[in-house]
Amino acid sequence: MEIRNDDIRERVNIREIYRYLGYGAGEPDDSVYSMIVEVLGQLSQTVQPRYVYRVYACSVSETGVTLSAEDRAVTFESRNLAANLAQCSRAALIAATLGIAADKLLQKYEILNMTKAAIAQACGAAYIEAYCDIVQEQICEQVSAEAGKLYLRPRFSPGYGDLPLHCQKVFFAELECTKRIGLTLTDSLLMYPTKSVTALIGLTANPLSCHIGRCKNCACTDCEFREV
Amino acid sequence: MDFRELLGKRILFFDGGMGTLLQERGLKAGEVPEMWNVLHPEIIRQIHREYLNAGCNVVSANTFGVNAYKCRNTACTVDELVTAGVHLAQEAIAEVRNAKQGSKKAHPMFAALDIGSIGKLLKPLGEISFDEAYQTFREIVLAGDRAGADLILIETVSDSYEIKAAVLAAKENSDLPVVVTMIFDEGGKLLTGGDVASVTAMLEGLGVDAVGFNCGLGPEQMKKLLPQLTECCSLPIVVNPNAGLPVVVDGQTIFTVEPEEFAQSVRVLVEMGASVAGGCCGTTPAHIRRVVELCGDMEIKPVTDKNLTVVSSYNHAVYFARKPLIIGERINPTGKSKFKQALRSHDMEYIYREGLSQEENGAHILDVNVGLPEIDEPQLMQEAVTGIQAIIDLPLQIDTSDTEAMERGLRYYNGKPMLNSVNGKKESMERVFPIAKKYGAVVVCLCLDEGGIPETVEGRLAVAEKLVKTAAAYGIPKKNLVMDALVLTISTGQDNANITLQTLRRIRFEMGLHTVLGVSNISFGLPERSRINTAFFTMAMNSGLSAGIVNPSSEPMMNAYYSFNALTGVDEQCMEYIAKASCAAENPGAAALSKSAEMTLDEAIVKGLAESAYEATIKLLDQNKDSLDIINENLIPALDVVGKGFEEKRMFLPQLLMSADAAKASFEAIRTTLSKQGKQSGSKGKIVIATVKGDIHDIGKNIVKTLLENYGFEMIDLGKDVDPQLILKTVQEQNVRLVGLSALMTTTVVSMEETIRLLREQHADCKVMVGGAVLTQEYADRIGADFYSRDAMGSVRYANALWERGEL
Repeated sequence: MEIRNDDIRERVNIREIYRYLGYGAGEPDDSVYSMIVEVLGQLSQTVQPRYVYRVYACSVSETGVTLSAEDRAVTFESRNLAANLAQCSRAALIAATLGIAADKLLQKYEILNMTKAAIAQACGAAYIEAYCDIVQEQICEQVSAEAGKLYLRPRFSPGYGDLPLHCQKVFFAELECTKRIGLTLTDSLLMYPTKSVTALIGLTANPLSCHIGRCKNCACTDCEFREV
Repeated sequence: MDFRELLGKRILFFDGGMGTLLQERGLKAGEVPEMWNVLHPEIIRQIHREYLNAGCNVVSANTFGVNAYKCRNTACTVDELVTAGVHLAQEAIAEVRNAKQGSKKAHPMFAALDIGSIGKLLKPLGEISFDEAYQTFREIVLAGDRAGADLILIETVSDSYEIKAAVLAAKENSDLPVVVTMIFDEGGKLLTGGDVASVTAMLEGLGVDAVGFNCGLGPEQMKKLLPQLTECCSLPIVVNPNAGLPVVVDGQTIFTVEPEEFAQSVRVLVEMGASVAGGCCGTTPAHIRRVVELCGDMEIKPVTDKNLTVVSSYNHAVYFARKPLIIGERINPTGKSKFKQALRSHDMEYIYREGLSQEENGAHILDVNVGLPEIDEPQLMQEAVTGIQAIIDLPLQIDTSDTEAMERGLRYYNGKPMLNSVNGKKESMERVFPIAKKYGAVVVCLCLDEGGIPETVEGRLAVAEKLVKTAAAYGIPKKNLVMDALVLTISTGQDNANITLQTLRRIRFEMGLHTVLGVSNISFGLPERSRINTAFFTMAMNSGLSAGIVNPSSEPMMNAYYSFNALTGVDEQCMEYIAKASCAAENPGAAALSKSAEMTLDEAIVKGLAESAYEATIKLLDQNKDSLDIINENLIPALDVVGKGFEEKRMFLPQLLMSADAAKASFEAIRTTLSKQGKQSGSKGKIVIATVKGDIHDIGKNIVKTLLENYGFEMIDLGKDVDPQLILKTVQEQNVRLVGLSALMTTTVVSMEETIRLLREQHADCKVMVGGAVLTQEYADRIGADFYSRDAMGSVRYANALWERGEL
């Protein structure tokens, strides 16, 4: 299950980086492109990504979702999440982080070169997403091996739609994020290290509910960074 | 009996896991385990008894998760939970001791105050300050000490900086023995990047009693990691592994290594050099019982001093050994007017850039000197040390004669620091040695005393001997001293180099101490100094110099260094030499290339080419174009072209920033010229900018700051996670008319609202502009902002409009 930085680098969606930098469907010129390549290279040499997850049985009502394991159950009140997890028999909570080295690198760029600092922010975001993509596929494979072929639903994180941000606390308690992967939560519910993701991932037997839709499913249609 | 008397003399056993046993007895998910100290004391006592009856010597009180942050959500205080926890451990010991009386002599038993991680990342990259962490630990230590704990166990920690705060809190507020066990991954790294050698160096320096591993790994994985620790560690070693690696079954995390297998592996760990053993997650009294049965009679390996001279940063250790080291000397204002100016204007980035370039050029350690008569040196030293460590991986040498700055630098340093310097004067030794001892610094010792710098080799050696002897009286071993044989210029005494080199040789090879020199002093007063410096540097290394304090950006010096290493066989297969040499061969071409295209200032800025912008500006200045005209006729219009392109979505953020960088380079050229003429560039007005309290994402704020600076505004950047009161204070004190606030999350927009409310209540006369990912015009209106900027250019337009109306 080891995921190498080279694998993640390979998986990074460069269009996503363009989008984070405000290019929409456009493309940067050669000088910006070469900076993106350089920063991605630095990231993949520097960061130590880690993740932790747990798989639950999933029961969905109209207004929320209950995840249960042998000795515990957690409930999320969220209609959007319920819609996202419809038809899912199982769901995973995952937390993933690029670690503190990524933040150090970002700080360094802010001192040396603001352009690269902005690019590094975008690359860091795309990098952690790529990492999560690989992680969730591994989880899916593993669960499928035990429970029959399942398919992934799009990742759903605290703060999306009507799923409140304070659900972060559930993730941190359930996954022991701080002890296991060094991820911490501030009083204002932000995560340190900053390049980190927590998410719910639905697993469904329905092959039609693929996990590619992502951004376009969001109700916030005037978003600056929306996929086009 | 005292725990310290047994530690390292015979094998000792810790207890095993607590959490899983509590869950079996009904602890619910999300419940605070330490609350059971008051809710179900009999259960906690019973678990302790089971471990003691299994034969363990140390029970860890059920206090692991207690701290002020976690207690906020419970009905109890830190003091109550810690006191109850320690008392339960002591009661269990007393019960077992009583029960055993008459049968056979009870084995030694101790109650440990168990301290875990706070669960927050420390500044500068995280949320809470070093002092807050320290205070949090202090509260726990005071309560545990009062309650009568026999020792302090700091465990399952994974951030060297947090560990340092905990150890200082333990040592400064109690006399109890301190044991630290850390959670490493299979690669031997802490979650924050530290390795075994770097934290071990730090902890030995801080004077803890034992170090080791717990949690994270099973005994098998610890076997692979243990050699890294036995190699560098001069203290008793503790191993408290999990019962294997965690396996998730049906959403449950379980550990599968059974007592027999566990104990067999622990036996091997003891054979390898551990002298204290116990268990962590998934281990039970049955595991510990089997460990005691199998290992109880074992002879431990004697604990030996590895005699290493070592300094460390947060993530790696640097050893003084056969291969000389480079200590970068550039972070020092002496003789550098630009550096002095940066210190006076609190331009920390200037200092950080000096550090980064030295790291890039091959330094192993960075000297940090920020002393100027008119500045608050202790404060600046603290800031410089923490700021540099946020971005640079190298160990630092705290360089100051100010005692308070020394203490601050060492205290807030993450790792085992180097200290520059002490000398043979009684006053100096009395002042410096106690601080060096407390923080475990490697100290640079200057071979001079009340009589000045001895003119003879024997005279310098006598001072060196005195320093060694006095240091020993303070408990500082020879390995933590590095002798500076002192360099006087050959322009004032033709035997000066010889005296230094002979002194070096004898200190290194007869006294057996490592050495350091400020190399370039040798040529003071002579022309073409680098010729002498490089020759002397080579001679000094050949005479036993362990570390040269030099300028790593000096090519001749570094050439001498790499060549010396290749010639003396310390550069394996000349790999480093070859790498540097081939790198040098490539570079000139690149420099020539960037020079080739000459363009106007306007073009350079629009294209975002910093070097060309700088050169074009110099050219205009040489043509006697007035600097204000350059700004107004070339610079600003070019920036406007890019800004407009950005707003019309023809150009994008990276281009906007590249242009900003180019404009910055142009300003730099103008400022240099102006200051040569004794003038200063004007400002359109001051703007305070900050990321609000509770928010840590500051890239947006920094982008805005860069752009506004280029448009001639004086930016007062208060950083991130900024208290509303500080913003108010700055606005009032500096009479600022515009404040820019940034917030990323809905949870922190609340602080933005609070800040605006405070400003309105106290100071009606300033405008507030806001921006950030979750903000909208509607939101901005609701919280009472004067202006909502949807992108970086918006803030430029707004600030310019205020300026034009004379409202700034």
